[in-house]
Amino acid sequence: MLATTHSRLQSIEEVEAAITGGKTLFLAGSREALSQLPRGSWVGGTICYFMTEEGGLVSDDKIFSTEVPEFALEAKAVNYGLGNLSYLYSDAPENGITFLIIPAATRLLKVFAEQAPSFDGFLMHPVVGWVSGVRMDRIGKEMPAVFNGQTGEVFENKAVALHVALPANKQAELEIVSIFKGGDGDVIHFKDEGFQAVGCTINGKPVNLADYIVAKGINTEFPLVGDYCGCPVNVSIQNVDPVTHCVELYAPVFPGVDYRFAEPVEDYAKAFAEVADADQTEPDFACNCVLNFIHGKLEGKKTGNVTGPITFGEIAHQLLNQTLVRMYLRDV
Amino acid sequence: MLPDVNQPVWKNVVSGEKALRSSKATVNLLVQGSKMSYGRDPSLANVQQLIVKMHSFFTRYESSFPEEVSQLI
Repeated sequence: MLATTHSRLQSIEEVEAAITGGKTLFLAGSREALSQLPRGSWVGGTICYFMTEEGGLVSDDKIFSTEVPEFALEAKAVNYGLGNLSYLYSDAPENGITFLIIPAATRLLKVFAEQAPSFDGFLMHPVVGWVSGVRMDRIGKEMPAVFNGQTGEVFENKAVALHVALPANKQAELEIVSIFKGGDGDVIHFKDEGFQAVGCTINGKPVNLADYIVAKGINTEFPLVGDYCGCPVNVSIQNVDPVTHCVELYAPVFPGVDYRFAEPVEDYAKAFAEVADADQTEPDFACNCVLNFIHGKLEGKKTGNVTGPITFGEIAHQLLNQTLVRMYLRDV
Repeated sequence: MLPDVNQPVWKNVVSGEKALRSSKATVNLLVQGSKMSYGRDPSLANVQQLIVKMHSFFTRYESSFPEEVSQLI
């Protein structure tokens, strides 16, 4: 079954034609590519990694374009900084879908990751999106950015959202798809929330997490899996410092959640293809994580029927890591 | 039909006493978030807030989650 939106990898010229033709677009591309586009009804973010029909791809001159369907009632781009981020969900239309892009390595992303669940309207208004980034070999040399095509603004420290109002007979549904399973390993609990983990309890006993990882020889390419009532919420390991005994994370951990280290996955491409092909309905938007692209060596490999940007973090209501996010616009 | 907001089932769900099984990510995030908030602050005022939030969610999306609503009745 086909999606109701048109999501595809396109040339800069094709995207330019769609913009001048009046289409409303949610875009992913390199800074060079997005900078060449005219003003219009679009928002975008920097990324050069993509899932395509031919397989994983790295490109600076292609843009992944998700076209807002004709049946949408209204689309409005809004910039969010620290001062108004808490209004993200309450700004959303009563029935709709909000596309969101936040630049990586920003204070804003940290605030979103830690506080979004406490914002007014969280979960009442679906928000899907991703974290913008740069080529892996340009980290620290170039800054991730977001583009507001309606105003022509480019930001490295603000997010951009496209609030799309839908008619009453359509409803957005978000899916969180992980190839990782927490299994029946040790249960880890954290006392404090945050992007750094030092102390924790493992099976009820106080333990330093860094020491535990080293002692157990845990492969930190695989994430911690938080059990949210059966929904896996992955937290990726950024760094384990044997000197400070601190573990740095790509997303915050929270007290009150059971975490386990993921069971190893041998073949990422096969695992994604299996979960993607289990649902033959093509999503209206999807994104996957750059850590899966790297650790799974997905360049040139197909991952089922799902296409979209490969990103520095995924958003389905809240920030996620090492996760495939799918959004569907369903008839109701 | 969705139980009234003052029915005890809501407190049981937001506190985690009653499990609400779902294959939908949005519902799982909602229920887990309620349990975490209740764990931090089990005061009557917070419980009321959590109940209102969950009741509002299911009122808005009642037709989208029939399996979950059937567990509340």
